[in-house]
Amino acid sequence: MEEYPEELRTPPVPLITLVGFPELHPTISAHLNAEKPPINTLALPDFDKISVFAKPIDSADSSSSPPAGILKRDWLLKHRTKIPSVAVALFSSDHVSGDPSQWLQLSTLLDHLKTVIRTRNTKLVVVVVQTSPEDDMNEDRMAALRKRVELDSKYIVNFSMRDSSEVKQSLNRHDSLLVAVYAEFRRDWVEALKFYEDAYHALREMVGTSTRLPAIQRLVEIKTLAEQLHFKISTLLLHGGKLVEAILWFRQHCTSYKKLVGTAEATFLHWEWLSRQFLVFAELLETSSKNLPALPAQVSGVKDKALTEWELQPAYYYQLASRYLMEKRSCLELALSMWEIFGESNNPAESVIPSAYVGQFARLLEQGHEEVALQPLTDEEFIRYSIAEGKRFQDSFEIIALMKKSYEVYTGLKFPRMASYCSFHIAKEYYSLGEIKNAKQYFDSAVKLYRHESWTTLLWEILGYLRECASQDGSLKEFLEYSLEMAALPITSGDSTYKECGPAGPPSLQQREIIHKEILGLVTGESEFALKGADQNLRVTNDSPLHIEIDLVSPLRVVLLASVAFHEQVVKPGMPTQFTLSLLSQLPLPFEIDAIDVQFNQSECNFVIQNSQKTSSPANFTNQAGYRVETAPALALSTNKWLRLTYDVKSDRSGKLDCISIIVRIGSHFTICCRAESPASMDDLPLWKFEECLESFPTKDPAQAFSGQKAIQVEEPDAQVDLSVDADGPALIGENFIVPVTISSKGHSVYSGELKINLVDTRGGGLVSPREFEPHSTESHHVELLGVSGPGDENSLTTSDNIRNIQHSFGLISVPFLNGGESWSCKLEIKWHRPKPIMLYVSLSYSSQGHDVNMQKIHVHKSLQIEGQTPVLISHHMRLPFRRDALLLSRVKPAADAEKMPCLPLNETSILVVSAKNCTEVPLRVLSMTIEKDDNSLENSCTVHPASNQHTDAAPLNIVVPGEEYKKVFSVIPVANTPRTRIGTVCLKWMRDTGPLNQGVSGVLTKHKLPDANVEQSPLIVSLKCPPHGVLGDPFTYFIIVQNQTELLQEIKYSLLDSQSFVSSGSHNDTIFVLPKSEHILSYKLVPLASGALQLPRVTVTSSRYSATFQPSVAASTIFVFPVKPQFEMKTMEYSAEPMMLAAE
Amino acid sequence: MIVCVAVVGHQNNPLYIQSFNEGDDALKLHHIVHCSLDVIDERVNNPKKSGPMLNETFLGLLYPTENYKVYGYLTNTKVKFILVTTDLDVRDADMRNFFRKFHAAYVDAVSNPFHVPGKKITSRTFAERVSNIVKSFGLGSSG
Repeated sequence: MEEYPEELRTPPVPLITLVGFPELHPTISAHLNAEKPPINTLALPDFDKISVFAKPIDSADSSSSPPAGILKRDWLLKHRTKIPSVAVALFSSDHVSGDPSQWLQLSTLLDHLKTVIRTRNTKLVVVVVQTSPEDDMNEDRMAALRKRVELDSKYIVNFSMRDSSEVKQSLNRHDSLLVAVYAEFRRDWVEALKFYEDAYHALREMVGTSTRLPAIQRLVEIKTLAEQLHFKISTLLLHGGKLVEAILWFRQHCTSYKKLVGTAEATFLHWEWLSRQFLVFAELLETSSKNLPALPAQVSGVKDKALTEWELQPAYYYQLASRYLMEKRSCLELALSMWEIFGESNNPAESVIPSAYVGQFARLLEQGHEEVALQPLTDEEFIRYSIAEGKRFQDSFEIIALMKKSYEVYTGLKFPRMASYCSFHIAKEYYSLGEIKNAKQYFDSAVKLYRHESWTTLLWEILGYLRECASQDGSLKEFLEYSLEMAALPITSGDSTYKECGPAGPPSLQQREIIHKEILGLVTGESEFALKGADQNLRVTNDSPLHIEIDLVSPLRVVLLASVAFHEQVVKPGMPTQFTLSLLSQLPLPFEIDAIDVQFNQSECNFVIQNSQKTSSPANFTNQAGYRVETAPALALSTNKWLRLTYDVKSDRSGKLDCISIIVRIGSHFTICCRAESPASMDDLPLWKFEECLESFPTKDPAQAFSGQKAIQVEEPDAQVDLSVDADGPALIGENFIVPVTISSKGHSVYSGELKINLVDTRGGGLVSPREFEPHSTESHHVELLGVSGPGDENSLTTSDNIRNIQHSFGLISVPFLNGGESWSCKLEIKWHRPKPIMLYVSLSYSSQGHDVNMQKIHVHKSLQIEGQTPVLISHHMRLPFRRDALLLSRVKPAADAEKMPCLPLNETSILVVSAKNCTEVPLRVLSMTIEKDDNSLENSCTVHPASNQHTDAAPLNIVVPGEEYKKVFSVIPVANTPRTRIGTVCLKWMRDTGPLNQGVSGVLTKHKLPDANVEQSPLIVSLKCPPHGVLGDPFTYFIIVQNQTELLQEIKYSLLDSQSFVSSGSHNDTIFVLPKSEHILSYKLVPLASGALQLPRVTVTSSRYSATFQPSVAASTIFVFPVKPQFEMKTMEYSAEPMMLAAE
Repeated sequence: MIVCVAVVGHQNNPLYIQSFNEGDDALKLHHIVHCSLDVIDERVNNPKKSGPMLNETFLGLLYPTENYKVYGYLTNTKVKFILVTTDLDVRDADMRNFFRKFHAAYVDAVSNPFHVPGKKITSRTFAERVSNIVKSFGLGSSG
């Protein structure tokens, strides 16, 4: 765009000339220049100078003959700087209204002016400057003046009229271009556009009609003009924001001129011209798109106009500009070679210059000293001149610059494929220029996408270039890599027509095979790699071996794919295990492998497979002593066919045995290192995965192809140490449960042994339950590991080098060195606080060789489930003494919550029976059972004593077999009247019954808290008294004693219901009054009439004050009657404590 | 005249590409087909710009190169059909018609139980059918 002259690129600027009154000129010029748009002024101080505008006489003559061209080259410039469109004559008002001589002078000047400007179509404005404001204009003179200059009155203005741009020019030039230029003057875009378009169309019509110039030059002239017109139109359209119209206009412009190629020798001029069209439009679009913020919005309207996304992008036009430039270059080269063949290149074209008309050239002939003459050219001369000109330009750099521009735009727009296409072209240009480094860079950026999207043909072409680059670069390795990739591309048929194929030729199977053979020749050292610029060619020899790496993402995976599958998943150390090594190649021809080196992560397992048919190959891998060498009958790889090899491998080290890489040697000095892949997790081959070809499994067993792994787990050696963990029966809560652990060596010595102990809840969840808060148990763990005691005494393990780390559920202790056959044991102490089954895990790790830290440890695991059981279940009963009942008011009117609490009468003896049931499966020995006061009860609210008739020292009796109960009776006398009385806690000391009792054994203490009791004052107490037994026919007395403990008189009703077993005497019904703090005794004489356990007559006592009725229980009113007086001694026993009777109840 | 048709798979890999014009360079046509994938991506990923043709399989004119026009079609399984023609004035209706026939041929080809989905289409019948469709294009446009 910058090539265009300025007057074409910028809007036209009007020119005005000022004549007369020179003192005003600077003011006017400055003002007009500051106008928008600016107006140039040409100030002439004197009217004499006006003759410069007059047309030269000779040109006036020539105008009669047909013009030599369409548009003069300097026309626009001329109208900007030389030929004014308006002449402004400035006169002082004195001249107008002055004396006649002045008037006459004025008239002459004006006449002269008019004659001059008439030839130029310049308009005249006469300005009469009033020097003093009070000057009165002479109307007559003004009219005369008007008449003299033959102008409309509006062209004659008074002083202040300055805005000359408003003056209308009425130009009648037929050339509508000029009209359009003038329309543009007036910022009348629409009008201007219309006239430009008219001009453009008129020009288009001239293509076929004009015969004025020789054909080629004529076309060049027309195209140049069309270019300028088009430029004007596009600028105007884009300036007006009409993006779509501009693009459509451009498209039309291109299609109408594209076919006007012209004669064969001048085609390059056409392509150059077309390329320039695209470039200029791209630049226009780029600059205007910055000013058009609404670009994306306009895209929506694109569909209707059949515009595509590309056509809005300057990148598209840049790209096409470079395309046509390439076209031009090839045509130019052709023309040049033609020219040189005919040997006409010696003719200098030095004196050809652009002629006076746009798009025309002429030869400059010197005719003497100063004078020059222009001679029209013949077509032949013109072509010669053009070719000479064309030779001067480096089109490649221009093409690269354009392509780079569009490459950047496309990359920015995230159009990767277009960008790749551009970079491919850039690279090709660089390649043809011989700039290999740049070329490679751009080829590389394009090749990635083609690989990724598997566009084989495109990949073939670009790889061909890259391969050639590597060859010119002298890089044998890269050359081989590209060659290998090309040879392994999935191209099977070459039936398509390929013309421009790059250095590799058309993609076909034959080409692949040729490349393959070439590679084989190189790697076996049979052929040489030609080094550019060096005398000696490169050869793969001992001094320059070649090594290629193929990893999991390499494009060369198609060349060689190595899959390794172990047949088993685990193996014992030292045991051989089989694995299958499979190799696959997509190279088109079969080839022989000299040797395969298999490498593992355990380097001592590495081995090499030699091809037996190639015995002469030097032992590259096998120079180390002890290296395993296998020999295979044939190692030939053919296309898409797995080469399967199965071998044994043996590892002595436990852990993972992983096959890392397979190194394949072809020839003597060429190696390919393939990363080994597991068949189970192997990716499809790139490119080939889209081919319809036979797919076979890398292993013979199809199941292994899906699950085979390239790594195997080598187990640790079998432990020759026994670990035994024993526990007899379930553990009991509270006791220190002992679990003996024994380590006995059966062959291995135990070095740096460690014993790990873990307690795990079998039901999941932790052994800790912080939510259950127990006030009397401080341990937060339900089960805890208390400690480990050694085989002898506990002190033997507390040496400093022994690790002892015991936590609640985890323990770690070290095991001393054990020789083969020795054993060591320890005891674990575990305590349960809750009934809970746990798993006890004990694991021993040791090394059998020595104290080396890096040595592999051998592990032995044992686990044991241990149940935690509640040993005893403690229950209790609260009783009043036999046949003595106290009225407890809270029992009569039970409240809702008072129900649960036992009630005890104040100052009365109550009986507490505590029983402990053995819930275990082993006999337990009860050491003692006491009731202890709680520490925090300040006053002694009740007294508890063991019942007097029990023998606490009878130790052998206290063994409780499973399921049996141990009972003990206590008497409780509340002494303080408090609503809640703590009775105490039952403390039971027990132990397992293990043989004779040692002195000093503490036993296990199990506590059971007795519930609080409600102590209340009893108002009435009813006691029944009768002998312990009766004899048939023998009378006895039955007393009912009612005791009033209140300060009130108590009214008591009683009644006695006769029993048929007895004859009774006494009143049956009565109401009595018992005095305060005294007692009333009712006595009955009874004679038993039958024997056995008989019911005494039922008595009912009712207190009317408390509306409470008492009836003795059946047990309390039963008596045994002997038929005759028994013949045995009988001690008198107290009624109060009769445990057997209570138990029977 | 149709010079090239292509079926492009999910990973933008060519499944079938065939050029019909002896005079044109096949590689150049391959480049054109490949580049026009950018436009398909653009149209598919920015459906807002495309406006009403949201559920339309026919993607319309993709790419006006110097001498060719490229049309696109996207099947419901996201397989792309691309056509390169030298006719500069083609009616959309004809194109739709062509693609419909082409789609039918493609569906028949991939319905073959021996065809593995996602692999290149090597069926000779498909190739013949496509070549027939291509030949008949333009002849039957009036009817």
